[in-house]
Amino acid sequence: MWLPALFLVVGLALGLLTNITVPDQYSNYLSIAVLAAFDTLFGGIRAHLEKKFDEKVFISGFFFNIGLAALLAFLGVQLGIDLYLAAVFAFGVRLFQNIAIIRRIVIDKSTEKKNQKK
Amino acid sequence: MRVKKKVTISIICAFVGFLVAIQFQSTKEPTERDTRDLWEIRSQLQVEQKQQQELYKKIAETVEMKEQYEAMSEQEQIEALTTSIEELEEKAGLKSRSGKGVRIRVEPIIYDMQTEQQFPELSPELLNRLVNELNNYGATDIAVGNERIINISPIRYVNGKTYVNNRAIPSLPIEIKVLANNPERLLNHLEVSQSRDEFAIEDLELKLEIDNQLDLPKFEGNINLEGIEVYELEEVGEE
Repeated sequence: MWLPALFLVVGLALGLLTNITVPDQYSNYLSIAVLAAFDTLFGGIRAHLEKKFDEKVFISGFFFNIGLAALLAFLGVQLGIDLYLAAVFAFGVRLFQNIAIIRRIVIDKSTEKKNQKK
Repeated sequence: MRVKKKVTISIICAFVGFLVAIQFQSTKEPTERDTRDLWEIRSQLQVEQKQQQELYKKIAETVEMKEQYEAMSEQEQIEALTTSIEELEEKAGLKSRSGKGVRIRVEPIIYDMQTEQQFPELSPELLNRLVNELNNYGATDIAVGNERIINISPIRYVNGKTYVNNRAIPSLPIEIKVLANNPERLLNHLEVSQSRDEFAIEDLELKLEIDNQLDLPKFEGNINLEGIEVYELEEVGEE
């Protein structure tokens, strides 16, 4: 369980140390990619806790979601509609759902442990 | 299998972290740095000090005036007020003035050509530029034709005619009277001024002469200060 957290920190450090910045006009794409990544990550944690985790689904979902979000943003720019908002909305809703389910599972587990101790 | 799964998740985590870091850096506003060197700061300081001195001087003058008012009897107070009103009116251009200055005659240049030539006219842009230039060169009072130019005199183009103070100026040739503390200097400046070239492009000639007795009319009409408000600048404190 520690390994993913460690890698997250490593990734953050790497990103901060390399000093890479994205031009202003592409910041939309990046933000939505970050959102998609978070969504997939929390989806993965949820699936793991529900014991339904599938590596193929996880990895394909990660890249597919990021790609789709970027495509939506690109399409939105071309059409003059803020389509990326649709992706933000969808990912946001799913993030909340996933986190809620994770929370419930964690609470259930902790109560179970307490009951077992008693 | 479990180890492989963990590694996959970890790599994805690292990727997410990387993305977040980039996003964070991209959206972070670069902090503005003070890149002035010592000399620039010094000259800036000098400018500010000069301004401070001037402000102190103004304050001192005003305080002195206030004390004078307070020290005087009522009759004298009224007199003092009238004199200051007169002074202010003169400053604002509400009184006719006479003195030493430069007389500028704007005349059309007529070419002796077979082709047709339009009669040149004085456009508001030209007049504007000339007035700006005159002010720049130390003119104290300006009158175009019979119209005194004050701080808020409009120069406009209305229905094919140039209007000054909401009245059309007469057709050419026209006289512009300019009072100055140092007419010779103003004349020299005007001799080599940009305006002269610009007027020449429009087939207009500026004839300049120094006049020791120029009479400028007063500003006719009301000064409308309705739309004017005191603009409060944010106070800059001393350090």
